[in-house]
Amino acid sequence: MKNSERSRLNGEAEEEDDEEENLNGGLEAWERSYADDRSWEALQEDESGFLRPIDNSAIYHAQYRRRLRGRSLTAATARIQKGLIRYLYIVIDLSRAAAEMDFRPSRMAVVAKQVEAFVREFFYQNPLSQIGLVTVKDGVANCLTDLGGSPESHIKALMGKLGCSGDSSIQNALDLVHGLLNQIPSYGHREVLILYSALSTCDPGDIMETIQKCKESKIRCSVIGLSAEMFICKHLCQETGGTYSVALDESHSKELILEHAPPPPAIAEFAIASLIKMGFPQRAGEGSISICSCHKEVKVGVGYTCPRCKARVCELPTECRICGLQLVSSPHLARSYHHLFPIAPFDEATPSRLNDLHNISRSTCFGCQQSLLASDLGLLSLILIFTPKIFPFDGEPEARLAANILQSLLGCEHEGCILTPVGLIMTPAIVGKYIDAAAAAAAPVYQMKSPLMMRRKSFIKYILAADPVLLYVRIFLCYFQV
Amino acid sequence: MIFKLEDVTVYFPYDNIYPEQYSYMLELKRALDAKGHCLLEMPTGTGKTIALLSLITSYVLSKPENPVKLIYCTRTVHEMEKTLAELKLLHNYQTRHLGPAAKILAIGLSSRKNLCVNSRVLAAENRDSVDAACRKRTASWVRALAAENPNIETCEFFENYEKAASAAVLPPGVYTLQDLRAFGKQQGWCPYFLARHMVQFANVVVYSYQYLLDPKVAGIISKEMQKESVVVFDEAHNIDNVCIEALSVSVRRQTLEGATRNLSRINQEIERFKATDAGRLRAEYNRLVEGLALRGNLPNAWLSNPALPSDILKEAVPGNIRRAEHFLHVLRRLVQYLRGRLETENVEKEGPVSFVASITAHAGIDQKTLRFCYERLHSLMLTLEITDTDEFLHIQTICDFATLVGTYTRGFSIIIEPFDERMPHIPDPVLQLSCHDASLAVKPVFDRFQSVVITSGTLSPIDLYPRLLNFHPVVSRSFKMSLTRDCICPMVLTRGSDQLPVSTKFDMRSDPGVARNYGKLLVEMVSIVPDGIVCFFVSYSYMDEIIATWNDSGILKEIMQHKLVFIETQDVVETTLALDNYRKACDCGRGAVFFSVARGKVAEGIDFDRHYGRLVIMFGVPFQYTLSKILLARLEYLRDTFQIKEGDFLTFDALRQAAQCVGRVIRSKADYGMMIFADKRYSRHDKRSKLPGWILSHLRDAHLNLSTDMALHIAREFLRKMAQPYDKAGSIGRKTLLSQADLEKMTNDGSINEMLY
Repeated sequence: MKNSERSRLNGEAEEEDDEEENLNGGLEAWERSYADDRSWEALQEDESGFLRPIDNSAIYHAQYRRRLRGRSLTAATARIQKGLIRYLYIVIDLSRAAAEMDFRPSRMAVVAKQVEAFVREFFYQNPLSQIGLVTVKDGVANCLTDLGGSPESHIKALMGKLGCSGDSSIQNALDLVHGLLNQIPSYGHREVLILYSALSTCDPGDIMETIQKCKESKIRCSVIGLSAEMFICKHLCQETGGTYSVALDESHSKELILEHAPPPPAIAEFAIASLIKMGFPQRAGEGSISICSCHKEVKVGVGYTCPRCKARVCELPTECRICGLQLVSSPHLARSYHHLFPIAPFDEATPSRLNDLHNISRSTCFGCQQSLLASDLGLLSLILIFTPKIFPFDGEPEARLAANILQSLLGCEHEGCILTPVGLIMTPAIVGKYIDAAAAAAAPVYQMKSPLMMRRKSFIKYILAADPVLLYVRIFLCYFQV
Repeated sequence: MIFKLEDVTVYFPYDNIYPEQYSYMLELKRALDAKGHCLLEMPTGTGKTIALLSLITSYVLSKPENPVKLIYCTRTVHEMEKTLAELKLLHNYQTRHLGPAAKILAIGLSSRKNLCVNSRVLAAENRDSVDAACRKRTASWVRALAAENPNIETCEFFENYEKAASAAVLPPGVYTLQDLRAFGKQQGWCPYFLARHMVQFANVVVYSYQYLLDPKVAGIISKEMQKESVVVFDEAHNIDNVCIEALSVSVRRQTLEGATRNLSRINQEIERFKATDAGRLRAEYNRLVEGLALRGNLPNAWLSNPALPSDILKEAVPGNIRRAEHFLHVLRRLVQYLRGRLETENVEKEGPVSFVASITAHAGIDQKTLRFCYERLHSLMLTLEITDTDEFLHIQTICDFATLVGTYTRGFSIIIEPFDERMPHIPDPVLQLSCHDASLAVKPVFDRFQSVVITSGTLSPIDLYPRLLNFHPVVSRSFKMSLTRDCICPMVLTRGSDQLPVSTKFDMRSDPGVARNYGKLLVEMVSIVPDGIVCFFVSYSYMDEIIATWNDSGILKEIMQHKLVFIETQDVVETTLALDNYRKACDCGRGAVFFSVARGKVAEGIDFDRHYGRLVIMFGVPFQYTLSKILLARLEYLRDTFQIKEGDFLTFDALRQAAQCVGRVIRSKADYGMMIFADKRYSRHDKRSKLPGWILSHLRDAHLNLSTDMALHIAREFLRKMAQPYDKAGSIGRKTLLSQADLEKMTNDGSINEMLY
């Protein structure tokens, strides 16, 4: 919903999207899903023109990356310090090369779309952090938006400024960002993410010096290249401790960008504890009318009041315009916190054990051994399925997270529900309780189907989203009918 | 790792070994067992040198009853240092496992310029003047004079070395040139003379090709090498040219003028000696009467026979040149005769026999006299105590020429050209004695040593080398590279963006369409390839022409929008500067294109690895200049003597150059690069099949007949794929690193042979 609203607000880049929608308008839903994937592009011909089995290398790379991430995850149990308050500048290369059409409709449009997704994801995962946007065009770097915590303003600013020309200059961009990031307080983690389309950089001076400068200021620079590996980018990332990756195609580039959303390990010299003053403002009453300090407009109902100067702000987290106090809410803190204290690793269930599970589940809940036959919905068991579509990070951490939440939320006493690759098996009673809890938390229910419909299909999906006190989580529920 | 290779225990300093290294060692070991010569092709970047060194040293360790000496020949000083550094690593590993039993002495030997530690001698700018400066301080008569007169400068390092006499030895170990210099400085001994002395005792000697192939030098340095030696020629793809150059002489007008000056100087010296010390000349005369065989008692051993047929040693110097004045007359007449021949208007070509006959008729010098010229000149210069030998290069060239003409009757021809063909209006007469038979220079090496190993990254087609060098290898094999990913991407581009064929064939090369298509290709490529691109053209003239065309049509400007352009010129300093800046541009991300010429200095010796060369484009097939008289004479000779067809040889030579050029781009397995052969002729089987196996195995049929846009698409995909992180050890299906356990397992179940063949 929100997406389409925004697209109406914004200009040119979205028009193409609209066209696509019109194009796709005549298609069935399932056809549309394939049209988005552009699966025909995955087909490859061998030397003699025969179709060859789809290249697994992309999948292999994905697995390899996941393995790497898994390794860093095990390291995470050893309590790696991570920067929770991040100040990230996203540098978007809008040089001539960004107009290339090898990503449809153009690299620039793809990047813009993905930056939008990234900005949202980033603020979900790092509510205390701030982002700024910088564009490079005609060899000059421009600061598009200053550091700020509002995804909407960034996205709006970016969508209005799409258009590319001239050369690109890493040095100019770094110099600009370096100047901007040097002002931020020392507890913040300085990061730059460069989305680079061009294959060369036209610099006014010695870029090596600039890289050293960034290194000294502890700015972590990461680069995502859109066409090929460049030595200078690799060098920059190596020197400053960032990561360098090159996108194979659109979906891969999205994956790469989103990899930057969870906070990276903190730089060792930076890892000194410091106290930060923060305010927890109260939500204004429903009918109250006030002038907000951020838009300077009269608003009814929405808004928070700064505990120190009583100024009104529209959204959290932010910095108070009047007294400069950092304004957050406790869920924000909690959300950031789980990066520091991740859930303990799970044992992976072997397929044979999985079969056992299914057998057992006929009678009892695997967790609390309660009988499953006493089901008022006529359903025997419930399986939670976490799919990549719902969870952008198809990894275990989110699954574990969900399990933990359910446990703590529902007061189920048993020792950790077993999470299989398929899902989580529980008594319907617990599920019922969970749904109540979700409703109590006033979470929007996106889609709900009647029990009758559920019976018609073997898998019926309930999509629920909950924003409980503790953490934010989205869970995909699936009723399994016997 | 330590593993068994048949009956030899191999000590290999790394934990893992590439499969191709293993098979390389196996073949080499079999060749050593058979005491024969071998020819091995293995791509660069697969650790050829360490495989070779570790096998040969381990072989010696396993069979102490027949100590084999290793003589390792490299092309450049840089390669020499690299080889010695690897040997040092290996040696440390072996001594760690075997203790003092593994001790060896390994030294590098190079010219005085690279080994001298005397700062005043080193101040001289080139090699010849360093040599001369050294002789000025170390010649025996200079030292004798210095003993009386302390004002005469001598070299303290040499004096110390002489004083230490037989005590001056190197303790066992591996010495790079730098180590030798450091050792010399520390002990106060001259490293150059120390190294030359130690060559006889060393287990491993690393030096340049010339020390074995150039008969003038080989006689001095390599005379005392035992028969039980293994001689290795590394990077030997051009060995035939090195052999030929070692025996070719060209004489220009300047040479003759210089020679005349030299002669009058010698004349003065003779007069001076006659007045002061006539006894010396008399003594020399007597010595010559007794014959060259007794030359051993010459005051200094720094010059001796040019490894000529052995009978020359038994013969005495002919009577007519025994006296210094007579010899001088003979040389004057020879120079006069040559000057007369240079006056010609037409191109002349002659065999040595008729040339000698004509000398005899016109100048009255017979073949035997000619043959002794070189020897006689050096004897004379020693007698006259001439130390500034660099001044006398011209007359040495003439004597060299005379000796070669007098000695060989086959395999040579004398070609006189009144002007350069490209500039017919400027008279620049040159008389060339060109050798056609590479086997002449290399024959003594094959005859003398037990095993000769010829190895390089490009030796294809491998059956041609034995014919060119006239020897019989017991093993000749070409190895492929095992890769974890397809990190090289060769392509044959036959058509331009307008689908018209591209080629540098003679009748097409001036076609503006071809130049435009080549330009378009480059313009497109610079926009999708990051960092460095190297372009090779077939010749300087073609490069100049095409760059001018591109400049006129604005293509060059388009290229410059993406990358900076650097051009190789014939000037070494300029080229070095261009290369430096090219590297800088690649480093700082600006990106650059380097225009170079196949067969040029850059194509032979400079690596464009990693980001310095992500793509190399070979514009055209680099055939030799087929109208060159020398080449024609050589082709004729090859056809008559070795039954090698002209076309075959030309194609072989061109493709070897092309492979050399494109091979610059990849120097290790972690590296990646693309190669574009931009000429329609490469798609023909007879051309393509002559490329080395490791390139051919990556050249897919689908990449054989590309147009510009298809090549672009492939390049884009390739670059993206290569930028992804990858697993260095290789997945299970393609094992590219073998650990000791792997090797043992494979040897036991016999699958090692499967892997190799």
